[in-house]
Amino acid sequence: MSQQFKLNDASVVVVIGSGAGGGTVANELAQKGIDVVCLEAGKRLALADVVNDPGLMMQKLGWNDTRRGTPIYTCKTVGGTTMRWSGITPRFQTHEFKALSTYGEMPDTTLIDWPITLEELEPYYDKAEDKMGVTGTHGIPPSAETNNYKLLKAAAKKLGYKEYTSTRTAINSVARDGRAACRQIGFCHSGCAIGAKWSTLYTEVPKAESTGHFELRTEAMAVKVNHDDNGKVTGVVYADNDGNLHEQKARAVCVAGNVMETTRLLHNSASNLFSDGLANSSGQLGRNYTRHMMFSTLAIMPGEVNFHRGTRQSGLLFDEQYHMPDRGFNGGYLIETVATDPVTVAAIVGGWGESAAEYLDNYTRLGGLWVTGEDPPQASNRITFDESERDQIGLSVPTLHYTFHDNSMAMFEHGKKQCEALLASMSGQKPVTTLDVGGGCHNMGVARMSANKNDGVTNRWGQTHDIANLFVTDGSLFSTSAAGNPTLTIVALAIRQADHIADRMKRREL
Amino acid sequence: MDTEVTSRRRFLVAAIAGSGAIASGLNLTLIRSASAWAEAPADAPTDTTRTLARMVRLYYPHDSVPDDVYVQTVDSILSAAASDVQLQELLDGAYVALDAVGAGRFADLDTAAQLSAMTKLQDEGFFTAIKFQVLGRFYAHPEVWKAINYPGSSVEHGGYVDRGFSDIDWLPERGR
Repeated sequence: MSQQFKLNDASVVVVIGSGAGGGTVANELAQKGIDVVCLEAGKRLALADVVNDPGLMMQKLGWNDTRRGTPIYTCKTVGGTTMRWSGITPRFQTHEFKALSTYGEMPDTTLIDWPITLEELEPYYDKAEDKMGVTGTHGIPPSAETNNYKLLKAAAKKLGYKEYTSTRTAINSVARDGRAACRQIGFCHSGCAIGAKWSTLYTEVPKAESTGHFELRTEAMAVKVNHDDNGKVTGVVYADNDGNLHEQKARAVCVAGNVMETTRLLHNSASNLFSDGLANSSGQLGRNYTRHMMFSTLAIMPGEVNFHRGTRQSGLLFDEQYHMPDRGFNGGYLIETVATDPVTVAAIVGGWGESAAEYLDNYTRLGGLWVTGEDPPQASNRITFDESERDQIGLSVPTLHYTFHDNSMAMFEHGKKQCEALLASMSGQKPVTTLDVGGGCHNMGVARMSANKNDGVTNRWGQTHDIANLFVTDGSLFSTSAAGNPTLTIVALAIRQADHIADRMKRREL
Repeated sequence: MDTEVTSRRRFLVAAIAGSGAIASGLNLTLIRSASAWAEAPADAPTDTTRTLARMVRLYYPHDSVPDDVYVQTVDSILSAAASDVQLQELLDGAYVALDAVGAGRFADLDTAAQLSAMTKLQDEGFFTAIKFQVLGRFYAHPEVWKAINYPGSSVEHGGYVDRGFSDIDWLPERGR
């Protein structure tokens, strides 16, 4: 039963975005009896709207407004990118929270240490895994082994790797928490048609609604955060589907629009008091963008793999995730399986003519690997705005500037060799490795947490350094990228932030 | 109307296949003068359409894919270009470049010479841009899926949990 709050009700927390960060913080607050209004730019789909058609679902789920520069893939729909993700949920490692201390000063980077440690986050990782139903944790049975995973496992054994698993995915191995068990449908990036994969659309959002302390407003695009003379935020202006503007008053605001929209909203909320954008006294808003060093390796195997049968990503290999500077680069990477549809295979394989067609003719025999690795932040990797170009609701069009750091390229060369060796060990032929496959799906850093207020936008709670009742609650918070898929860490940070907000409210500090 | 469509298709298929009889300018003239041409539509493939048809085929040549799929890919791109100035300019640029780089008009060259012309231009921006126009349509076509044994949507069949998601049988070691 959804609650309805008045626009002038200044006692509510306004959460912007309903994905991994926003959906989670909203539900956690509502469960504690705190009233929440969640503004979501997209529509609310039902499971029946989810079909196995990547092109169509990209239209339904994707954020398809005009953007310039390096492509980025985010979602405008209730559930945000939890509708589009693969469910891979590794924890970050101890050293990854201490990037600067571990790697030292690296040229052309803006490395810092996180203002929190793994130890501090561990209890929240536990809660996040339990909430999301991560297989192989908290007594949840392991995920079944798909063909593509069995291929990775056999190859890993052959090469002497030790740590690999088909588990650690937020896709139900058995029915749990009111959601079905995975039926190995595939198409995980197009939304899960049976709700086996965790998405806030059918977990956090309805759970929050059932508390009576939560209202979701869909097709409500936040355009400005207002503040008072004391510099505290007072409300959020949003455009409804007809372009009419409304202001929802707020006691506190959590921004979770993914890096582009989080940056744009704070940038567009500039005022006399905050001339360079809200909470941007450091000048770091929109900077230090990281997105992981990503690539994919395919090969034609001697027998059928049929990697389209089953989850899109179905296993991980951890051995290369550690910091082993002897490899010639800092940080590490995770090797995961990946399966894609023919259009994507053709795009990854590249080339043209007989050799490209031969790859597709062997579609059922393809083995697929994918890598995500640490990508150090750089000041020049950032989001800027072209004030002369406006989108359909009159907002300045964002541009993403991104180049890989030399460290990421050295990591790529190493990972490419390893992935091609893995598939070759099982007699894979004609390996093709393509950089930046999936690039723009893991978006981090533009409002990063920092111990020193000059180095980032937010503190250890995701509270902005400049404004006590303004928080950031998405991947923008990450101080550095670490190697692994980010969603679990976004959820863990959101749960932790909700505890903090509730605590501060109890002490009447918010 | 049916005849027109059928005719246009027949000519496009021939253009895609690069069959000399119809794709060569000389023979086209001969056919045009023959009574058989009477059933041809007014919009029989132009040289540029024949160029695009050959490009589509040579980008992704699959013997197992029916010619009609290539025709539909060409039609789909042309239809998109009709309302997309940038795409039309991209195509026009490609036609000019392809005609200039070989020993004659691209559409009239033999397959080897066409491949050579495309290879010479493969690093040009238009080459990849048009390739993506092709692959996004061509490899999303159910007939292509059938040819490469990709079944497409699985949810209506209950996924693969009971249909072979874990049936790989040629690996050296099974199980853990």
